[in-house]
Amino acid sequence: MANEPQRLERLPSRLLALFLATFTISATANSGYAIIAVMRDDFVNKRKWFTEDEMNDYIAIVQSCPGPMAVTSSMIVGYQSAGLLGSLAAVLGVIIPPFAVMVLVTVFYQAIVSNPYVTIFMRGMQMGVVAMLLDVCIGLFRDATKKSKAYPLAIMLLAFLYVRITGCSIMWLALGCGVVGAVKALLVKREVEA
Amino acid sequence: MIDLGLLLRIFVTFVRIGAVAFGGAYAAIPLVEQEVVGNAGFMTYDEFVDLLALDEITPGPILINSATFVGMKVAGVPGAVAATLGCIFVPCIVAIALLFLFRRFKETRLVQSIVLTLKCMALALIVSTMVKLGANAVMPDASHPDVTHGIYASAVMCVAFYLMHWKKLSPLPVMLGCGALNVVVNMLGM
Repeated sequence: MANEPQRLERLPSRLLALFLATFTISATANSGYAIIAVMRDDFVNKRKWFTEDEMNDYIAIVQSCPGPMAVTSSMIVGYQSAGLLGSLAAVLGVIIPPFAVMVLVTVFYQAIVSNPYVTIFMRGMQMGVVAMLLDVCIGLFRDATKKSKAYPLAIMLLAFLYVRITGCSIMWLALGCGVVGAVKALLVKREVEA
Repeated sequence: MIDLGLLLRIFVTFVRIGAVAFGGAYAAIPLVEQEVVGNAGFMTYDEFVDLLALDEITPGPILINSATFVGMKVAGVPGAVAATLGCIFVPCIVAIALLFLFRRFKETRLVQSIVLTLKCMALALIVSTMVKLGANAVMPDASHPDVTHGIYASAVMCVAFYLMHWKKLSPLPVMLGCGALNVVVNMLGM
């Protein structure tokens, strides 16, 4: 998936760009989805390393991995931009800020927890996060319903109900979706042959 | 002298957490509690509650924050390193493995169908988080609904969405702006 624009930048500068991008993102956003949205903006809109569709594929893969989305998406985006070194640069970028901040915070934590403005600032950012999630959802929705409507809508509804109502592990949901997707492909194939 | 046995225990505890932490940060919190407070006994429940408050106000993924905090408490900086590496160990391997499978087979109908299904699932998960966060932003305290605050929060979200979706502003400055605005609004005593 070596896009033309990626080849224009040499490896060291690409690694540095990856590191700085994930570092900045991780230092300022505190949810995985925020990190994915900022990555999309940076790598798709600004740097043009990936297309919107490729990024949506990566989001689907990341959602099926365990662990912090910020780390797994950095791993994938890093690999796609510059191989394993890219993954390393991106993952280091994403873990260093929270690591450093947390080490300091553990030392000074009474003073921080008792400062109301810190909490108020974070609350305000949460409103921005909601708006940003909506933006991500619209992109994903358009992408998923490009070819057919009924099947994607049904899966979305069922997955949503699963999460909201059962509260069971997402691992089972991801496995289930994988199986349903596979079965659907096999059934459709058979119809074509018949 | 660094206690290697203890570091190994921290590492293994967080490998276990990382390996099963599906579904984002908010799903990971109960897991951390179970492993760290219950199974490993690294922290008391009160310390764990402090950790939750810190997770909210510090940048970065919640699982990394938690790992660093617990590691620091139990064994200082080496402990924090062991915990952080532990919690990303399995996820990194799974991510690369899935990416390879995807790249190898992405042209096949089977993988395209699976990825489409997973995309729909991803969308549902994000919507679910969005609903939860949105409800919390509009009405932080469900027992005391505050209409003014609700309208204010909704308006901020609408403007933020307008700026990102139609004006194509980067999400980051918009989010920081929302944070700053909230501080100003609170200082004015509204």
